[in-house]
Amino acid sequence: MIDEEDVERLAHVAGLRIDPAHLPGVMTNLRILYAQAALLTTPPLAAEVEPAPAYRA
Amino acid sequence: MIVLDRLTDLYGACAIADAVRRGEISAVSVIESRLDRIKRLDPLLNCFTSVLEDRAFEMAARVDALVAAGRDPGPLAGVPFGVKDNYDVVGRVTLAGSIINRSRAAATADAVIAQRAAKAGAVLIGTQNMDEFAYGFTTENAHYGATHNPRDVARSAGGSSGGSAAAVAAGLTEFSLGTDTNGSIRVPSSFCGIFGLKPTFGRLPRTGTFPFVHDLDHLGPFARGVQDLASVYDALQGYDSHDVACAERPMEPTVPSLDDCAGLRVATLGGWFDDMADAQGRDAVRRVADVLGAKRSVSLPGTQQARAAAFVLTATSGGNLHREALRARAADFDPATRDRLLAGLLMPADAVLQAQRVRQVYRTEALTAFRDHDVLLAPATPCAAVLLGQPTISVNGADVPTRANIGLLTQPLSFIGLPIVTVPVANGALPIGVQIIAAPWREDVALAAALRIERAWLASVPVAEPC
Repeated sequence: MIDEEDVERLAHVAGLRIDPAHLPGVMTNLRILYAQAALLTTPPLAAEVEPAPAYRA
Repeated sequence: MIVLDRLTDLYGACAIADAVRRGEISAVSVIESRLDRIKRLDPLLNCFTSVLEDRAFEMAARVDALVAAGRDPGPLAGVPFGVKDNYDVVGRVTLAGSIINRSRAAATADAVIAQRAAKAGAVLIGTQNMDEFAYGFTTENAHYGATHNPRDVARSAGGSSGGSAAAVAAGLTEFSLGTDTNGSIRVPSSFCGIFGLKPTFGRLPRTGTFPFVHDLDHLGPFARGVQDLASVYDALQGYDSHDVACAERPMEPTVPSLDDCAGLRVATLGGWFDDMADAQGRDAVRRVADVLGAKRSVSLPGTQQARAAAFVLTATSGGNLHREALRARAADFDPATRDRLLAGLLMPADAVLQAQRVRQVYRTEALTAFRDHDVLLAPATPCAAVLLGQPTISVNGADVPTRANIGLLTQPLSFIGLPIVTVPVANGALPIGVQIIAAPWREDVALAAALRIERAWLASVPVAEPC
């Protein structure tokens, strides 16, 4: 489970300083995002599945 | 109850344009009547972030001068319209519902599709309220206040294009132009009981609008009738090289084929789209299905993943877009927006890439369904308009946070860019929208099906008279 210390560490790596007053809200939303991201890993995708954006030179 | 303020008030974009073109009514008098109505009702509704009175009269006078000179004033002559607050309007700073953007330079031109509407003779009368940076479904904006639903002012107009939809529902404008990244045209259409079109991703150029999620942003119109919606949409079409996502496709007018929906193969969407709807939404879909002769229900495998992927991509892309402001002045964001964007900035690249790969898989599932069907149907929202400030809604037997879940039924579909018309169904105390979903680039099919629904008197949308 992500806690406020995790948020601070991730923010540090990303070069952000999050106001302590904002930490609870960010933590709640990060938990939601990780829960949603977890849904994307099952079932596993075939190696041939490419990301959607198509860059055109 | 329909209340027309003056004799010069006519109902609907096409009716107004016809009367102006024939010289039966002046564009200036139409604008005068709408500005009077805005002065009377907008203090209650809060649809507008700015009213461009001088500009509107000037543009209307030009239309009248063309008519007087016997020249063609355009198919939307004298029709008043508004644009969401994230559209550029020359001389105005594009705030996109924020205070962060106040330091930006004023726009040097209108957004491209607003220019096209004006070229067709329509008259811009103002910019309209939205969730900050389009990140929301309720238009409860911490800086500029909430927009109230004209059908019940205690309720949300939906979002994020809530001011645009509410203005159309209340007869303040005949059409509005909004944006839809995850449902921001379809949700307010549903809550306000009007028609909305989210075209295929890449159809209308976003040039001159403030972005939210580059991969998901769509522009489109709201109106109170299908003929109006199609006429406006046709005036907006065309390639623009300044939007890298804009497809190089020819103009494909929809008005000439609006009456042509014989033999359409129609199915309802089951699974996720049934599970996440309430009884009213299911009933609305059933009624629309009966009119269109839908006999089957189909499921799109992977819809839950598609919704999750859209959710992740939105937060991460939005966070990336606003990184510098989040770093320098996070306290100036709407709290409801800020915490989600900051969280998005902290997500790993793996989640973003996985979301983009899921998008490809879900697109394939949808295209497979369209081999056997021309139109798919689903509710637009899990419920009718929520109360302003309502913390939770009931979805599939559970109470869940309102703001994060109103887009459950729209997000998976905009994620893969399908064209969708939302039609309002009046089967309860408040209307609810049904999504008419067509294959990519077949806006004509979705609009023709919507017209059939309207003519069956299923989608009846009188001008709301708030009190």
